[in-house]
Amino acid sequence: MGNSETRIRVEFWTSLGLLALVALAPLVVTNLYWQGVLVVCMYFAIQSVGWNLLTGYTGQMSLAPAAFAMVGAYGTGLLSYHLQAPPWIGVPSGVLAAFLIGCVLGRAALALRGPYLALTTLAFAEILRLVISNSYGFTRGDLGLNVPGIFDDRLADYYLMLGALVAVQIGVFLLLRSKYGLFLQAIRDDETAADSRGIPVVFWKTAAFALSAAICGLAGGLYAHFARLISPELGLIMQTGFVISMVVIGGIGTMSGPIIGAFLVYLLSEALREAGGYHLVVFALFVILVARFFRAGLWGLVRALARGALPPAERA
Amino acid sequence: MAVLALEAVTKRFAGLTAVDSVTFAVEEGELVGLIGPNGSGKTTLLNIMSGLLRPDGGRVLLDGADVTGLPANRLARRGLLRMFQLTRLFRQISAFDNLLVVGRALGMDAAEAAERAERLFADLQLAHVRNLDAGQLSGGQQKLLEFGACFMRPPRVALLDEPFAAVHPTMRQIMADFVRRHHTDGQTFVLVSHDMPIVKELCPRAVCMNAGTVIADGPTDQVLADPAVIEAYLGGHAA
Repeated sequence: MGNSETRIRVEFWTSLGLLALVALAPLVVTNLYWQGVLVVCMYFAIQSVGWNLLTGYTGQMSLAPAAFAMVGAYGTGLLSYHLQAPPWIGVPSGVLAAFLIGCVLGRAALALRGPYLALTTLAFAEILRLVISNSYGFTRGDLGLNVPGIFDDRLADYYLMLGALVAVQIGVFLLLRSKYGLFLQAIRDDETAADSRGIPVVFWKTAAFALSAAICGLAGGLYAHFARLISPELGLIMQTGFVISMVVIGGIGTMSGPIIGAFLVYLLSEALREAGGYHLVVFALFVILVARFFRAGLWGLVRALARGALPPAERA
Repeated sequence: MAVLALEAVTKRFAGLTAVDSVTFAVEEGELVGLIGPNGSGKTTLLNIMSGLLRPDGGRVLLDGADVTGLPANRLARRGLLRMFQLTRLFRQISAFDNLLVVGRALGMDAAEAAERAERLFADLQLAHVRNLDAGQLSGGQQKLLEFGACFMRPPRVALLDEPFAAVHPTMRQIMADFVRRHHTDGQTFVLVSHDMPIVKELCPRAVCMNAGTVIADGPTDQVLADPAVIEAYLGGHAA
């Protein structure tokens, strides 16, 4: 077992410890509004974990996590609206739709790297959002789509979203500990070397893309039944920017970072709600500071402090 | 039958013919030195052999089967493993995982891959850095690690591109001993190097390229004494 596996294990157990605190939070946070805020934190945390799997662990830059969450949300929403399908059919169908679209988009964008891949995913996200926005007859467009709740109890929604987040985190951990996780990390570090050493790069990049899309789709599907009203705003680029900020601030390419970042950034955005659009300025500054001084994010800072000294990159 | 054979392999980049109708074969257990001045087409040829480049003409045969244009990962699983001139490692995972991932990709189970990786760490004297991230290793250690990755599963042919360049003499000796030992055991190698003393020492046969073509092929001593080779290296000022 190497250093990298130990690191992943430590990060995983730390993240589960943090999620245990989230499980206990309703004992203290009894206000329904703030419980709802924590549910939204978890919605973003699931997306962040999904995006981090693709970008942090596989090295493929996507600007479409929010678009895939929108696919998951509209998957279950439309099935419910048009066919009265229950959530236990709708949510998995939304996840499957996101997975399949992820397969197609991932496969199509495989020849692209870096900014070209990012721009392709951005174009896909915007096209999808505009299609949903303008298909009034089918999606009700900007009017929004009513989606029935799964439970009538806020705490039940809370623990459902938490259960999904824990399940996703465990799934990603098991994947990263397997040989397939090593393949993804090898692709992230050097695609050419990975290819030359026997790793089917094309297949695993597509798989990571589709899996990441499915995870975001799951977040969107559950969110739709929690919020009970969805609109194309779910897929706004700003929402993707939110997810990216969360992962970068928390620590990209780590298991704990996306969860820390999701809670921190969303709670901060709630605290700055009064400031209107200015909260984006605060996030932008935050991301710049992290990128400049703490490239490994807050989780990297915690690790450095735990080691008793800041590494040179953090001291710079 | 030759393990690896090139038949009239040609590669062009825009107006430049980097490899021009190159033909030669490597027999089982041979250690062939591929030499030539800078820009002679050695690395391009290695890229074609290992599947990173598709030739514009000609064929690559592995164990008699036409493998021209197969992706690098499939060629690697068929036993063509290569080392790059500029070290390419998985920098954010540990040195141990760098070897483990290759073993797993080549079809070894976890225990077998781990055992093989440990043996390679011992052979290459890298055991003390096994848990460090590859990016934290010194340049020489990185080169040794990449060298080890080629031997996670004994390859049909090991394609080594300048393994001895810019490496500390101790590490160079470790690699040279490793190559010598495995060659004695029957391992097939194609070794690209500018280091003539080591080519002379290790390689019974040399193939010399210049301007994309093979200008000499035969016993290393004869190739190095060939006037065309001397002229290629010294630009016609050999005398």
